[in-house]
Amino acid sequence: MTSTTVPTTVEAPSLETMLGALLRADLVVLTKNRMRMLLSLMLPLIILTSTSSSKATKSFGGAEFILGLAITAGIAGTSIMGYAPMVARDRDNGVFQRLRVSPAPTWAVMGSRLSVQMVSNFVIALAVLVLGDNIHHLSLSAESYVLVLLVSILASAVFLAVAQALVGLVKSADTVQAFGRLLYIGLVIVGLFGASGGLGGFWDTVSKWTPVGVLMNVFAGVLGGGTFSSQDWLSLLACGGYVVALTTLGIYCFRFDSQ
Amino acid sequence: MILSPRPALNAIAPVPPPTATDGTTLLEVHELTVAYGPKVAVDKVSFDIRRSEIFGLLGPNGAGKTTTLSAIEGLRRPRSGTVLLNGVDIVRQPALAKAQMGVQLQSTGFQSELTVRQVARLYAGLYCVAMSGQDLDAALTDVGLGRELDRTTKQISGGQQQRLSLFVALIHHPSILLLDEPTTGLDPQSRRYLWTRIERVRNGGGSILLTTHSMEEAQAVCDRVAIVDHGRVLAIDTPRNLIDEHRDDPLVRAAARGEVTLEDVFIGLTGSEIRD
Repeated sequence: MTSTTVPTTVEAPSLETMLGALLRADLVVLTKNRMRMLLSLMLPLIILTSTSSSKATKSFGGAEFILGLAITAGIAGTSIMGYAPMVARDRDNGVFQRLRVSPAPTWAVMGSRLSVQMVSNFVIALAVLVLGDNIHHLSLSAESYVLVLLVSILASAVFLAVAQALVGLVKSADTVQAFGRLLYIGLVIVGLFGASGGLGGFWDTVSKWTPVGVLMNVFAGVLGGGTFSSQDWLSLLACGGYVVALTTLGIYCFRFDSQ
Repeated sequence: MILSPRPALNAIAPVPPPTATDGTTLLEVHELTVAYGPKVAVDKVSFDIRRSEIFGLLGPNGAGKTTTLSAIEGLRRPRSGTVLLNGVDIVRQPALAKAQMGVQLQSTGFQSELTVRQVARLYAGLYCVAMSGQDLDAALTDVGLGRELDRTTKQISGGQQQRLSLFVALIHHPSILLLDEPTTGLDPQSRRYLWTRIERVRNGGGSILLTTHSMEEAQAVCDRVAIVDHGRVLAIDTPRNLIDEHRDDPLVRAAARGEVTLEDVFIGLTGSEIRD
């Protein structure tokens, strides 16, 4: 940069160029966090392998429920324990304020991050689906793969809404990380034991309506030949409700600096 | 013995100011009011900045300097008042206004996973500056970051981060550069280097608005300063005129230790009690 001469005319930069720059940078950050993605696969792998016996499969509601739980756990992991702490850390470091003083609109800055996280979640879902199909010998058709991946996109939306609400409500990056871990473990345990019916009446009902529970129903409905029961439709509706409610909360409460 | 090469700081002499600004107003802040809930942090502040001018906002902690700057940068919506940059309203046309300003915040604010080169490329894209990879590397080398291109932002020193931050703020040749306490934490050499850079921006036709606590900095580089306190502008003028105008003020005289300085005027106008 040798010249500091000011140009005489200025135009607003093109949105396409700005979005391209943001997406490129966010993808670079994603590829540099490969270890985090691999760690997100650990719990789904444990779920799939520890329930591979026919007795265990039956006690957890069948292979479809287990696969649904494993995919849900993987997506929940990258969202609640990956996306949320990273956003909180970047907020503390002033990254968002630095981006917001550029001509890029705020929705583009956040939209780029969310889009890249959706890609990450999709990759996790695909990996778990392939592993689960092989471990539990489901022999899924191509149509089933497509349907499951579509539901995975819905699952991404649900858990990114949870993550965004978390980082909107909690200001400290350390607290986001700690609370995120508790939330993740709680959701997975409730989902896991709810599927097995091991929690008893009230907690079974609660489990069915948590984000993990409703997604497991939708996955099971899709994997079970595509015939949706009324419970599956209600679960689908509940997913939509979670996305809308938690996204609204996350956007309303989110502050771009931690002060 | 020099252990690491530095940009040719010794070769950078102070840059003499232009004989005069052209007087055209570049930035107009009119009756700007910014509040945090019920607390008014900036109260009907008005000032303008001319082309080819370095304008300083001086004030004690909590005076409203950073809040004023945040409103101009588009980070905080004002409760009332207007900010016009080259006639463009920052609230109504934020993208067009921001395309004409370069900003360096107090914290450098880059993602720690990105390298120096990747940060530069990101911001070149955000300001639609078409530069080849080679040209970008050359430009980064010009500012002394040639050896750090592949290092991440968390691996480089604080001074290097400041240089990268200034590079990014100037990458699109903005009409105005906004600096929030730019020399805080810098060593004397880096501080002089920064002063020289911003003087060059001024001489190239750009303007600078900076906030500072340092009276030395205000007197050394600013063409005009505004002294603010409790969200209000107390005085606007050149450092020399402020000293001459308030030389005989009893409060200024009481604060003076010998010849009246800008710092004495500042303390005389804002008080001597320590702020949080």
